[in-house]
Amino acid sequence: MAKTITNYFDELRGTRVWRSVFRSGSGSSTLHRALAIQQNVFLHLFSTKVRTRMLSFSATWYLGTLTLGTFLILVSTGIPLMFYYHPSVPQAYADTKDLQFVVSSGLFLRNLHRWSAHAMVFLVFAHMFKVFYRGAYRPPREFNWVIGVVLLLITLLLSYTGYLLPWDQLAFWAITVGSNIASAVPVMGNKVHFLMLGGNVVNANALLRFYVLHCMILPLVAILFVAIHFWRIRKDGGLYAHQSEPRTVAARSVPAKGVPVP
Amino acid sequence: MPLSSESSFEPKKNSLSALWQTLFGHPVRAFGVVSLLLLILLAIAPAKNHFSEWRHYQKQYLALIRGRGDAVTLERRFHDHDGIQQIWLPQLGVVDRCTSCHSGLKEASLSDVSTQPFRRHPAIPHTLDQFGCVMCHRGQGPATTVEEAHSSTLAWEQPILPARYVQSSCGQCHRAPLTGTPQLNSGRNLLGRYGCVHCHTIKLPDGSAIKPTDDPPSLEHVADKTTREWVYAWLKDPQAYAVTATMPNFKLSDPDARDISAFLIADSTPLAGDTAPTPKNEKAPDPTAGASLYGESFCASCHAVQNAAGNVVGGDVGPELTRVGNKVKPEWLRAWLHNPRVYDSGTAMPHYRLSDPQLSLLTAFLGNKTDTDLLANVHLDAATPEQIAHGKLLVTEYGCASCHEINGIKKPDNFAPELTRIGSKALTQIIFLPGMTHALPDYIAAKIRQPRSFGSALKMPQFSLAPGQIDALTTALLSLTDRAQDLPRALTVAAKPASNYQPAGRAGQLMSDLACFSCHAINGRGGDMAPDLTWEGSSVQRPWLQAFLKNPGTLRPALIRRMPRFNLSDEDAKELTDYIMTVYQTPEFDRDSMPAGGYPAAQVERGKQLFYSKYACQGCHIVDTKVDKGYIGPTLTQVGSRLNAAWIYHWLKEPQNLRPGTIEPNRNMPDEDARALTAFLMAQRGSGKQEAKK
Amino acid sequence: MSGPTPKDFIAGMDSNARKSPTRVVFVTRRTSAQVKVTAEDQVQTYPELLFRAVVAIEVLAIALVSMALLFNAPLEGIADPSHTPNPAKAPWYFLGLQEMLHYFPPVVAGVLVPGLVVMALIVIPYFNINVEAEGLFLKDRERRVLIFYVVTAALCLFLLLFDVYVALVPALIVAGFMALAAQSSPQSASAFRRGLAAKPLSFWIMTWFLFELTVLTAVGTFFRGPGWSWVLPWRS
Repeated sequence: MAKTITNYFDELRGTRVWRSVFRSGSGSSTLHRALAIQQNVFLHLFSTKVRTRMLSFSATWYLGTLTLGTFLILVSTGIPLMFYYHPSVPQAYADTKDLQFVVSSGLFLRNLHRWSAHAMVFLVFAHMFKVFYRGAYRPPREFNWVIGVVLLLITLLLSYTGYLLPWDQLAFWAITVGSNIASAVPVMGNKVHFLMLGGNVVNANALLRFYVLHCMILPLVAILFVAIHFWRIRKDGGLYAHQSEPRTVAARSVPAKGVPVP
Repeated sequence: MPLSSESSFEPKKNSLSALWQTLFGHPVRAFGVVSLLLLILLAIAPAKNHFSEWRHYQKQYLALIRGRGDAVTLERRFHDHDGIQQIWLPQLGVVDRCTSCHSGLKEASLSDVSTQPFRRHPAIPHTLDQFGCVMCHRGQGPATTVEEAHSSTLAWEQPILPARYVQSSCGQCHRAPLTGTPQLNSGRNLLGRYGCVHCHTIKLPDGSAIKPTDDPPSLEHVADKTTREWVYAWLKDPQAYAVTATMPNFKLSDPDARDISAFLIADSTPLAGDTAPTPKNEKAPDPTAGASLYGESFCASCHAVQNAAGNVVGGDVGPELTRVGNKVKPEWLRAWLHNPRVYDSGTAMPHYRLSDPQLSLLTAFLGNKTDTDLLANVHLDAATPEQIAHGKLLVTEYGCASCHEINGIKKPDNFAPELTRIGSKALTQIIFLPGMTHALPDYIAAKIRQPRSFGSALKMPQFSLAPGQIDALTTALLSLTDRAQDLPRALTVAAKPASNYQPAGRAGQLMSDLACFSCHAINGRGGDMAPDLTWEGSSVQRPWLQAFLKNPGTLRPALIRRMPRFNLSDEDAKELTDYIMTVYQTPEFDRDSMPAGGYPAAQVERGKQLFYSKYACQGCHIVDTKVDKGYIGPTLTQVGSRLNAAWIYHWLKEPQNLRPGTIEPNRNMPDEDARALTAFLMAQRGSGKQEAKK
Repeated sequence: MSGPTPKDFIAGMDSNARKSPTRVVFVTRRTSAQVKVTAEDQVQTYPELLFRAVVAIEVLAIALVSMALLFNAPLEGIADPSHTPNPAKAPWYFLGLQEMLHYFPPVVAGVLVPGLVVMALIVIPYFNINVEAEGLFLKDRERRVLIFYVVTAALCLFLLLFDVYVALVPALIVAGFMALAAQSSPQSASAFRRGLAAKPLSFWIMTWFLFELTVLTAVGTFFRGPGWSWVLPWRS
């Protein structure tokens, strides 16, 4: 059955319309499959080939993939949520209520967005620890690790800015407690706090600020860094595979046998 | 397919793993299967939407009305506004979607339906769209599920208000008493009557505060009035002395009560002229002989006495007198009866001008009202300075000075928490007792019922309240919401501003001395026990008034409470009459516009016809004592010499205009009918006097 | 198809370029790219990886959608600056920080510690000691054991000084394993101890960090009630 599905899919890829869109035609040859990756603006970030070992679950636990999954879910639920939301006080809370009680599947959207956000924060942390324990931060992947740390911070900021948007007690006081930590910065703590909230306390200004950051700035920055993160995986030689790597930097000059660079 | 899937998945072992292999053995197949699962799961969300509670109830409603006679009308009205319904009042912040399920609220023809949520709303003075639902019933208006709308949730802590407290919601806008909210009115009165507002400030939206009405006595000269033993017994249990006492029980330990009584007596200063010793040569009268004087003076209009059956009989303006002999010293009592204004210039007690023998009679009669058990077990040693000092400390600690004036102790400010917004108190700020329902009404009621159950160290004392009174107080307190405070002024119905009207001159002094305002209201100030006297000068004839002040008779045979006789001198009576006849005039009409007599006989006769047939006035009034049986309204046998003709005429035309709230019906009388009746009534002068002489 | 310096590498190629195209890179001494990959079994990203990735995402989506259908996201009353809930808690991922704020001054717990953690995370790959990743106690054992004990004692003293028992316990447990690692060698009988002996310093620090993060976050989330006092989550 799988064969039939794939065949049909290959046929679809052979059509003129498909080819006009994706610039690669049908065919199950390695070339065609490589082109499918290469010729696609999104997929070309990835290598055309991966090591067979890296497909196994234990290698990565698919944590990076899953994190991307939560991000996609968050974007696709976040956009419809934006349709119903005004970042103003007290309309924001009323809109959240309306999502729960009046908007068709509004409660589902909000639930999915909320749980996915929590899942994303958790998965980003898990991804980081998994990468660390596998030693995948080693050269030449140093900078991709740094980008990963940046993405961790962006994820935390995304979740934190989103936390305020329902404008309920939970949101208000969580942001109040969290933002008070910023006041502890030496010398310019109060300035940082003021800049963060657009005022000395959490109020309508802070809500608007957080809304713009949550729905505009941070997602764009995140997408940019995610793109670099993926592209660097390819450029840094694919996913890190323990035994295939030279043990030390010193071993660099050891001649390799047949080097297909992915 | 050159897919290398063999390595990642186990080879076939049995049928189960074969199935697994078929479904997930290949990434593409797995993709198909998992996608299908995800799509099915995603379809549940809109399906859930479709089976929502409110749709279910709307279907039930349609089924309910289908079989009815007016099904077509009802269905059309229902379909005119399908889907989620809401009442949106931006000014009030109301978004009520209750009508999404409560579909039949406005359908008068559904009066026989008793199943919720389809019951018809009972008739109320407002339309349902005017204020929405949650203004009165609380609960979460925007919610569209039963659980969220009716219960207390994390997102909305005010659940539906139990029906027995619903009158509290009227009180959010209506500060003035309403006829439909007896429980709220009573609760508001109790807040003042039991002195709650001495300790707890309750501010009204206009910035004023609710004032206490209980008039707790000053203790500056308490040693003149009573003994330390009585103070001790009273402190231990006020209701043991008088069941109607509003003083709460502070649950004091014996040593604490001992020390407080020691302090209060030691702290008291003597008051000059406060004691009137019995004249030397007078022999003690028979204690029971004062009973008739007590009755004639209508003491019972204000003071109650517990009878042998345990029933408390009498008014509640003054203190209960069942065991007054245990309390007051005879010299003080005599001085008080002689002129109460010496001891307490603001007392509601009138200054009876009693003669010496009358004073002796009453003093002996009241002094005999004792209960031997009350003080039988109270034996106090002389107070030590330590006890007095400790007593002073306790008096400060318990905030006694919030209610009573005490020498050397200032009235504490904000002694207890302010209750201005108690009706919206956040549940998170309340510490509930174990096993208690986590709801505001239950908390308030429990706190009133047994304040110390929330902690033995709490200062709030135990009040002696009936369950109905607790409900009433809870209702009144629940009306003190944020909404009541923040409501647009245009939507509130303010209470009549409290009047501090005080008549001027000597007449004014006389009226204070006689405590007229304890029973009568004038220009918005005063009690409601006796008729409002604001337009009395337009209403009555001068000779009648002067005679009445000297010797009040009864106008309403059905009433037990009557105007007492104050033994006024001729001058005083004339002074008062002059003042009333001159000042208390209505601007509605000219009192001299109709003659007092000389009406044509035919008109008088027509008036009689109208009185007995067309308007059947004899149902409530008596003109001919032999025939008429009416006793609801005043007797009219001598009305011709009592009332002013123009008053009668205008009274008949529009009684509510002259005395708002009177039960006299407005019969929409034509002018000639009113004139004929006036003529008939003005002719009623002599028979009453003859009657009285018999 | 052949570079000017064919000595340094051998290119293996299929004769059928259409069937298995192979990109070839020419590495000269001047090329900056670091080529450190040996030949290994490879598969095409499409369809092998792509379908697996999509299936993984779908499985996650199924889990999250089920959760969204079953559990509602929390929503409390409208924000009210005048009613402070007790306790007022930050989002769960900051509760570790908030727990630390309970013990340390805000400058330390709120700025210094998170700042240092982020810095430490960033610099990890730039230290050769982390890249080489040799067992902590394999070289220069005695001196390192001494430093380990001094540092551990100092840390424990510091934590005791601030009464931070919550952080002390994970620190002691990790230190216990490190002490065990110090007593182990690659020749140890048990595989577990051989593993311990091979763990580098970065492993120990990261493990300590992970352990502390988990414990502090869990304590802050589940075990803290009104006034940041201890509560049991199942007794509420």
